[in-house]
Amino acid sequence: MAELYVKPGNKDRGWNDPPQFSYGLQTQGSSHKRTPLTKRVAAPQDGSPKVPTSEPFTGTPPVGPPPLLTKTTGPPLGGNSSPLRVEPASSSVTCETMLEDVLGPLEQALEDCRAHTQKQIFDDISRRLALLQGQWKSEKLSVPVRKRMALLVQELRNHNWDGADDIHRSLMVDHVTEVSQWMVGVKRLIAERRSLPSGEAAEEKPTTTEENEVISSLSATL
Amino acid sequence: MATYLEFIQQNEERDGIRFSWNVWPSSRLEATRMVVPLACLFTPLKERPDLPPVQYEPVLCSRPTCKAVLNPLCQVDYRAKLWACNFCFQRNQFPPAYAGISEVNQPAELMPQFSTIEYIVQRGPQTPLIFLYVVDTCLEEEDLQALKESLQMSLSLLPPDALVGLITFGRMVQVHELSCEGISKSYVFRGTKDLTAKQIQDMLGLTKPAMSTQQARPVQPQGQPFISSRFLQPVHKIDMNLTDLLGELQRDPWPVTQGKRPLRSTGVALSIAVGLLEGTFPNTGARIMLFTGGPPTQGPGMVVGDELKVPIRSWHDIEKDNARFMKKAIKHYEMLANRTATNGHCIDIYACALDQTGLQEMKCCANLTGGHMVMGDSFNTSLFKQTFQRVFSKDFNGDFRMAFGATLDVKTSRELKISGAIGPCISLNVKGPCVSENEYGISGTSQWKICSLDPTTTLGIYFEVVNQHNAPIPQGGRGAIQFVTQYQHSSTQRRIRVTTVARSWADAQNQFQHIEAAFDQEAAAVLMARLGVFRAESEEGPDVLRWLDRQLIRLCQKFGQYNKEDPSSFRLSDSFSLYPQFMFHLRRSPFLQVFNNSPDESSYYRHHFARQDLTQSLIMIQPILYSYSFHGPPEPVLLDSSSILADRILLMDTFFQIVIYLGETIAQWRKAGYQDMPEYENFKHLLQAPLDDAQDIMQTRFPMPRYINTEHGGSQARFLLSKVNPSQTHNNLYPWGQESGAPILTDDVSLQVFMDHLKKLAVSSAS
Repeated sequence: MAELYVKPGNKDRGWNDPPQFSYGLQTQGSSHKRTPLTKRVAAPQDGSPKVPTSEPFTGTPPVGPPPLLTKTTGPPLGGNSSPLRVEPASSSVTCETMLEDVLGPLEQALEDCRAHTQKQIFDDISRRLALLQGQWKSEKLSVPVRKRMALLVQELRNHNWDGADDIHRSLMVDHVTEVSQWMVGVKRLIAERRSLPSGEAAEEKPTTTEENEVISSLSATL
Repeated sequence: MATYLEFIQQNEERDGIRFSWNVWPSSRLEATRMVVPLACLFTPLKERPDLPPVQYEPVLCSRPTCKAVLNPLCQVDYRAKLWACNFCFQRNQFPPAYAGISEVNQPAELMPQFSTIEYIVQRGPQTPLIFLYVVDTCLEEEDLQALKESLQMSLSLLPPDALVGLITFGRMVQVHELSCEGISKSYVFRGTKDLTAKQIQDMLGLTKPAMSTQQARPVQPQGQPFISSRFLQPVHKIDMNLTDLLGELQRDPWPVTQGKRPLRSTGVALSIAVGLLEGTFPNTGARIMLFTGGPPTQGPGMVVGDELKVPIRSWHDIEKDNARFMKKAIKHYEMLANRTATNGHCIDIYACALDQTGLQEMKCCANLTGGHMVMGDSFNTSLFKQTFQRVFSKDFNGDFRMAFGATLDVKTSRELKISGAIGPCISLNVKGPCVSENEYGISGTSQWKICSLDPTTTLGIYFEVVNQHNAPIPQGGRGAIQFVTQYQHSSTQRRIRVTTVARSWADAQNQFQHIEAAFDQEAAAVLMARLGVFRAESEEGPDVLRWLDRQLIRLCQKFGQYNKEDPSSFRLSDSFSLYPQFMFHLRRSPFLQVFNNSPDESSYYRHHFARQDLTQSLIMIQPILYSYSFHGPPEPVLLDSSSILADRILLMDTFFQIVIYLGETIAQWRKAGYQDMPEYENFKHLLQAPLDDAQDIMQTRFPMPRYINTEHGGSQARFLLSKVNPSQTHNNLYPWGQESGAPILTDDVSLQVFMDHLKKLAVSSAS
C-alpha cells in the first residue's frame, strides 16, 4: 500500500548523511528478515596474520576487466535484486487524480460531521481543506501526494478509518513539507468522522486486540 | 546436551540475559580468581512476540524482606497447597484462587518455559503519556524550518490521547499556553535567572489548579485522572492549533552581532520544563524532548560565553582544568536530571549542530533518566529526521516501543550478593541483605529506577559470590537470580515482568573445565567494557587502560595453557579465543580514547554504549567487517588491514557508521563503467549487494548511523583504515608487488604485537 523507496540523504547539510527510507519501508522493516551480518573471525592465536592473497586474475596490476558473466556463475547475493530497492513512484503513471475526486468526498465527510462537531473545529477543518484546494490548483502538490490522497479518500469512503489514518501518517512522514499545513485538518476529519455513530458500523474488522493476545487467566486454567 | 553456544543463545532469546559465566564458581575465593566478575547483561523488556501477558497479580513470598515472586524454581506441595520460596526458603500458603492447583493443573508461572513472564496488574485508563517539546529557536532558517516540520509530523505519530506541550527558548524562554481558542498566549521567562520548582509553578499558575484537581479527583467517575493543564493538552484536541503554532515559530528575534554566539538559555528552559512536569504530573510517563542547535550561552547551565573568539572547551582544556563553565554547568544539569528521575520522567536531547552543543555537560539528563541522546549536523538531515521518527516506532502488537517509570528489583539466592548495575538508571537506595559491599557501577542497592526504556535497553548487573570456601555447596546445587521489573507500558497499563534464572555451581578445583567451557566471552567483554567506560567517566584514561590490561593478563594467566617462560607455548581454549582481540579493539575505541574526539562526541558514544544490548555493544567494541567478491557469498573477514584487497568490496559496521569500501580494482572497474554493460551484469550485482545489506542494517538501527560510501584512495577510506588492526604498516610493509592488503600509516600497536606482549606477560613468573 504505502510507498516503498529510498532516497539519498541531505549531503549538503549533514556529513555522510544516511539515505532516507519511506514510511512504508520503515514500518514494514521487521517483516523483511535477512541473516544479520554479525559474524566475526577469530584472529589466529599464533599472532601472524594469515594473509589472504587475491585470485590470480588480479595478481597483475588491475587493468583487466571483471570476469565475464558467462565465465562465472555470478555472485550469489547480488543476483536476486532486493525488494528494498524500489524506486520512488515515478510520474509515468498516467491516471491523473482529479481534485474534485479528492475534495468532494472530504467535504462530504465534513458535512456529515457538521451536527456533531463544534463549529470552531468545523471551520478549522474546512479552512484546511481550502488550503489543500488552493495548493492543488496552483499545482504545488506532487504526483505521489495527489495519488495517495485519492487512496486516502477511498479508504474514507469505505469507512476504513485505520487505513485512512495510516495513509495520512505516511504522507506526513514522506511529504511533510508539502502537506503539513492542511493534512492535520484531514487527520482531524478522519477522527471526527470515525467518532460519528454511523462510523462504527463498518468497523467490525477484527484487529489484534489485547484480548486475543492475553492467555487465559489463572481462574480459567484452574 | 546442546553446546554452550546454543544454551547461551536460547537463554538470551527467552530471558533477555547473558551471563559472563554460565557455571558459577562455588566460593568467594575461587570467584575472585576468575578475574572476570560474575555478571550479566539484562534486557528487562526484551521483545517476546511469543509471550502474551497474563492478567492477574503475581504471587509474592510472604516474608517481608524477601517478597520474591512465585516462579518455576519454587518447590510446591500440591496437596497442602504450599510453596517454598527458592530464595529465602519461606513456606507460603497459596492464595484462595489457586485452590484448584495440582501437578497437572499448574498456573503459567510454575511452568519451566515461563522463566520469564509478564503480568498486567492494572487495566483501564491511566494518565496518558506526556511529550513536552523544548525547542531552541536560535537556529538557521533552514534548520528551524526542518525542525518545525519534524515536530508537526510527530503530532501524527504520537498516540492521539497523549498530552503535548511546547516550550521555546532563545534569549528568553517561552512557555506556550495551548488552547483551542484562536489567540495564542505564552509566559515569558528571563533566560539568566534560575527559578525553583515552586517559583515556576507559582508563575505559571499551576499551584491552584493542581489543588483543585486533587479535590476533584475522587468525584470524577472511574477515577479518570485530571488530564489537562493549559500547557499540556491532548494531541487529538490541540493538533490543528499546535500545527499552526509550530508553523509560526520564528527565529529568536534578538540581534546577534558579528563575532558573537546567540544567547541561548537552555539551562533555564530545561529547568522550567522539569518544574512544569514536576508540579503537574509526577510519577507518570513523560518525555521532555530538548531540541537544540548550539551550546547554552547564558544563565545557569551555560557551557561557553557568547564571544565566538573563545572556543568551546576541548579535552585539552578539561585536562588542563581550563574549562571555565563546565563544573558549574554539570552541577546544574545533574540537579535537573536527578529531579527528573525522582519524578519518573525522562529527558531526550536532540542536538544538531556542526560544533559542540554541550552534551558533555548535559549528558546526565539523558543518562540518568533513560532518555535518548542524538547528535547530528543539522535538523535538515535524514539522520535526524529518521532517528526522530524511530522514537515513535511500534512493535509487533502496534504498541509504542517505549516504557516508563520502571523499577528493577533484583533478588539472589543466599550464596550471591549484588554489587551494582551500569546502565541508564539511578539507584533507589534499597539496602537489603543481598547487597554487596564490593561495589561496581551504581551500587549499594538491590533496586534501580529506569525512567524510560525500550525493548533493547540493557543493563549490566554485577554480582559477588559470597559463599565461603569451607562451606561447600552440595553437588548439583544451583544459584538463582530473580529480576522483577515493574513498569508503565506504552498503553499506560502497569505491568510486571518477572525473569527467574538459575545456573549450576561448580567447585573450581575439580570442575574447572566446566566453568571454563561455560564462559561467555562476548558477554564478558561487554561487561568488562562497561566497567571500563564507567571508570573512564571519573578516572584518567591511562589508568583505565592499565586496569583493563591487568585484568586481561590475569585472565590469560588463569585460563591460558602454557609452559612457564615460554610465550610460544601459550594457547587459549575456544571459549576464550576472541576475548583478547575484543580487549585490543576496546582499547582503541572512542569509548576509552578521547584523542580525535570532542568531549561531546565522547559523551555521545559512551551514552549509547551504556544501554545497548550485547550484539550492538559488541559491534561498537569490535566493528563487523564483511567482504564481497566474485569468489563466493559475502563472508566475515578479519578486522585487519590484510583484509583490504583490490578485488573485494568491504562493508564495515561500527554501529555509528556504515562504511562501504571498494578495493582498487573494483573501483577502477566501476570507473570504467563495466556495471553498465549487459555482459557484466554480475559486476553490477556485486556492487549492489553491500548496498542492500547496508540498507538492511540502517533500516533498524537507532540512532540512524552515518553512511560512508568510499573507495581505495578516497579520503573517507580513513574510517575503515582507522578501525582495522594495522598488521601492515609503513614500517613492516611486505616487498612491493606482493598483493597483501593495505599498509596503514600508523605507529599504533598491532594486534600481533599486542598478543606477543600479552603472551610474554602471561607466561612470565615475575608478573
